Amino acid sequence: MNSSQRLAAKRYAAAYDSLSRTNEQASLREKDLVAGQKSLARLDAWLINPCVALNEKKQVARELLKSWPQVSSFVEVLLDAKRYALLPEIVRQVQELLDNRQGIMRAQIVSAQPLTQVQQTHAIHALASRYGKEIKASFQTDKTLLGGLKIWCNGELIDGSISGELARLQEELMK
Amino acid sequence: MALRPEEITNIIKNKIEHFNTAADINEVGTVIQVGDGIARVHGLNHVKASELVDFGNGVKGMAMNLEYDNVGCVLMGSDQQVREGDTVKRTGEVISIPVGEKIIGRVVSPLGQPLDGKGPISPDKNMKLDIVAPGIIDRQPVKQPLQTGIKAIDSMVPIGKGQRELIIGDRQTGKTALAIDAIINQKNIPQEERCICIYVAVGQKQSTVAQVVKTLTDFGAMDYTVVVSATAADPASLLYIAPYAGCAIGEYFMWKGKDVLIVYDDLSKHAQAYRQMSLLLRRPPGREAYPGDVFYLHSRLLERACKLSKENGGGSLTALPIIETQANDVSAYIPTNVISITDGQIYLESNLFLSGIKPAVNVGLSVSRVGGSAQRKSMRKVAGTLRIDLSQYQELAGFAQFGSELDKESQRQIARGQRMTELLKQNQYSPLTVGEEVLVLYAGTHGYLDEIEVPQVLTYEKQLLAYVRAEKASVLQTLNTANELSDETEKQIINLLDTFKTVFKAGK
Repeated sequence: MNSSQRLAAKRYAAAYDSLSRTNEQASLREKDLVAGQKSLARLDAWLINPCVALNEKKQVARELLKSWPQVSSFVEVLLDAKRYALLPEIVRQVQELLDNRQGIMRAQIVSAQPLTQVQQTHAIHALASRYGKEIKASFQTDKTLLGGLKIWCNGELIDGSISGELARLQEELMK
Repeated sequence: MALRPEEITNIIKNKIEHFNTAADINEVGTVIQVGDGIARVHGLNHVKASELVDFGNGVKGMAMNLEYDNVGCVLMGSDQQVREGDTVKRTGEVISIPVGEKIIGRVVSPLGQPLDGKGPISPDKNMKLDIVAPGIIDRQPVKQPLQTGIKAIDSMVPIGKGQRELIIGDRQTGKTALAIDAIINQKNIPQEERCICIYVAVGQKQSTVAQVVKTLTDFGAMDYTVVVSATAADPASLLYIAPYAGCAIGEYFMWKGKDVLIVYDDLSKHAQAYRQMSLLLRRPPGREAYPGDVFYLHSRLLERACKLSKENGGGSLTALPIIETQANDVSAYIPTNVISITDGQIYLESNLFLSGIKPAVNVGLSVSRVGGSAQRKSMRKVAGTLRIDLSQYQELAGFAQFGSELDKESQRQIARGQRMTELLKQNQYSPLTVGEEVLVLYAGTHGYLDEIEVPQVLTYEKQLLAYVRAEKASVLQTLNTANELSDETEKQIINLLDTFKTVFKAGK
């Protein structure tokens, strides 16, 4: 998925999220959406297939999503706009918006070696104290970092990796 | 120069020892789309307008459009190395150029990088490119003359220090030549009064810029000149910032109390570069597809030309913007804009150029709105009625073409006009000192040329100048230094011209 699709997904997610007034409503809607996505998951390829008539797709989706009427209309909007392929990204973004409502911040932490449990909690604590919010972190490894951590959180990049440091040192020496 | 390896090792060691190893924290965004020198970036939520952003690989960009869910940036380099998904960092700085005394005599890019292969330039300070022009209190009226060394300009369209005088005309009418002559003429002026010159080439051919640099070097003008070059091969963003970069360099010297002459060659291409950027950034097009703020683009640049007050050091920045017209149409969008911003214009016409009148200044359409008060009194005395005389001559000459018989007075006016037109012709790269100009024009306006055949006028001028330089250098000296034309000097001039009359006749 490229960045412009991600941007489009963000707009749909924001629209879906804005339907809810309270955090409880938002939480319920998020659960509905996840459940709805699950029930459609095995038909993904069929729903994206342009050879299938739109009405047919809508009918099937309506049947399957009977118990979640709002999700059903949302999926119909997506099918109309030929944006069904964005659904997994939209779900992710809706979850992020829900986290925002609940004062939870997402962070992506990349390290050269897998972090131990202690290191993970240490990193999460450090971020929580920096931003003053609860942190929900996802961990990844990337050997090209050589060492240290690279953290994406709140639109910021905290680069404490060895490779980043070397790059900055190179820049400094070239001056 | 011998290199000592241990010295270099020490420098590197020192840099490594003092290297800050703390984690680098930056607000970042992601490139959504890139192409045509424009990148759209998602993220960078707190970026400010005109802030510099870092795309990595040494490519920088400027945030131009701050939109709801993305930031439109122009790239200050090649877009080949920027890809979709790349991380973009904020720098928290606005664009600036490193400037110092050492920049004089160099050819630089709008980002201050040397382009002449003479090694790095050690800067004293960074000057911001886009600043608000000095206010009313910081200024004083334009009152000192800036000599261009061109008879037609200094006599009829005088330029003052701190003025903005537009040079406008079609292609191949001598616009650049006029500006280059004004730069070369600074060599004739004593060092303490001499202007530091800045030539900003916007969107020109590399060969043209190389030619200009060579000319300036050959005439020794690079000793006090800086060339800022953004050629046709550079991205539009560099063309867009080039005049501001030149102006920032000029301001550095102006605030040090020096006089600066800056030539923007040319602002039509500057407007076109800005139009390209604006359209790619999807700003709405207006007349001739230029964006709505194209007037402000030039007004904020030219407003920075000024004469500073005594408290501020009394420095000045004189701007000579150049505009290229299409088929002599001065009523197009950009020409009318710049005409209304500047304090007058020198209008060059291709018809005059082709009929051999060089510089091809159209006297009727050229004006200087503030230069008159800055003109030397001696020059004003000599050339005061020149402009009216020439317009009357042109009117009469129109009648005379129909073959109608003219009275004696009209015939005299025509004869005088023909000789004055001839006298105002001047070759390229041969600027005159103010004394020489006053002397030659005195001869013209006081009828010393009336008995000389029109084709002989330039020979007369040449011989007169050679004669004075050799025999009466003291008169020239007085004319060059004195502001006014005293009765005594005038007597000397009359004597001199009377004596020369016999010499010239004998020399025929």
